[in-house]
Amino acid sequence: MAGFLRSMIQVLPIFFFLVLQHSQAIRFDIAPAGTKCVSEDLQTNTLVLANYHIVKADLPHGSNPKINARLTSPYGTTLHFAENKDEGQFGFTTTEAGNYMACFWMHSHADNVPASIELDWKFGVAAKDWASIAKKEKLEGLELELRRLEDVVDSIREEMYYLRDKEAEMRGVNETTNARVAWFSIMSLFLCLMVAAWQLWHLKSYFERKKIL
Amino acid sequence: MAMALALALAALLLASIRSADALSMTVYRTECVQEHVEYANDIVTGNFVVVDHEIFWASDHPGIDFVATSPAGVIVSSIRGSAGDKFSFTAAMPGLYKFCFHNTAPSPETVDFYIHVGHILNEHNLAKDEHLNPVHVKISQLKEALESLMADQHYLRSRVERHHNTNRSTQKRLLFYTIGEYLALAAASVTQVLVLKHLFNRKIGYTKL
Repeated sequence: MAGFLRSMIQVLPIFFFLVLQHSQAIRFDIAPAGTKCVSEDLQTNTLVLANYHIVKADLPHGSNPKINARLTSPYGTTLHFAENKDEGQFGFTTTEAGNYMACFWMHSHADNVPASIELDWKFGVAAKDWASIAKKEKLEGLELELRRLEDVVDSIREEMYYLRDKEAEMRGVNETTNARVAWFSIMSLFLCLMVAAWQLWHLKSYFERKKIL
Repeated sequence: MAMALALALAALLLASIRSADALSMTVYRTECVQEHVEYANDIVTGNFVVVDHEIFWASDHPGIDFVATSPAGVIVSSIRGSAGDKFSFTAAMPGLYKFCFHNTAPSPETVDFYIHVGHILNEHNLAKDEHLNPVHVKISQLKEALESLMADQHYLRSRVERHHNTNRSTQKRLLFYTIGEYLALAAASVTQVLVLKHLFNRKIGYTKL
């Protein structure tokens, strides 16, 4: 019992240390007058979770810039729009496949200070709420880890199917182009001959009319 | 008690998952993205593909330059004039790493990129913490292998997208240029006949007079 308690005390600090780590995120700058857009090609039924915030550490003292954010679906509908905030989050499940774009721009140009935005954008397996899945299915430790790996493998397989379908579509386009090249070349030759024949016939009848031939 | 211990182990393993970042950005002149690396000796892998379809002569475009810089300002990876490539380096120090894309062409390019920071539990962690056994190390390696699979898939997907754009553009160009060619041929032959008739008309006119 004492040994177990001692080992637990050793493990707990690691647990807290790791839980307090900020999650991985990507950081980019926005110029005072510019818009930065990032996009990602997603398939249907993908869970997307994102949160963004302005990095306060890099800002000069006293400035408090605010940004606007807009998230658009592949067909142009706005899925999320937030104005004059310095942080925000959104989460949704995609209903159509395509390019989802998130754009950020400064709310007021008065500041003229470039801001650094940190965007944490997760989709698919990484976006799942593993804590609740662990509780629901009563998984712990290694089992939870392996369950996550199983989901990763599933998503890899889905991606392979998608690549295969895309390759089939591309092959269709290529074969159509191939057939069209053949047809158009034959038609081009045919058209050339027809035009030559018409020219000859027309000029011959013209010369006969003018009594030259 | 056991639950807390199990959760701690899970947290330890889950924390070694670094969420990969996949984004697509339009590069006008220079675009930079920063990513935080937690531990020293983490392996940062990634790839980028230039997906564009506005270029007329594809061979003219020099590609874009990619530069990865460590927090100390040392260039850790640099690829010049490429339309898509993979990169990988070991992060010597933790901190904010900067990945920059430079576009030398006048037209903007869309770049799909994927960055993944991977941390494998190694013997050092094993020695420090008695509750990690070699199984955890192996699972950590398996996880990294799967993450590298996902990175490769993302790269393939971007390449396929670019290829698809080229194919669609080829088909469209074929159709329009062929129709243009037929019209030009017809117009040229009609013009020939008209000019000849006009020349002969003038000549005949002089003769008849």
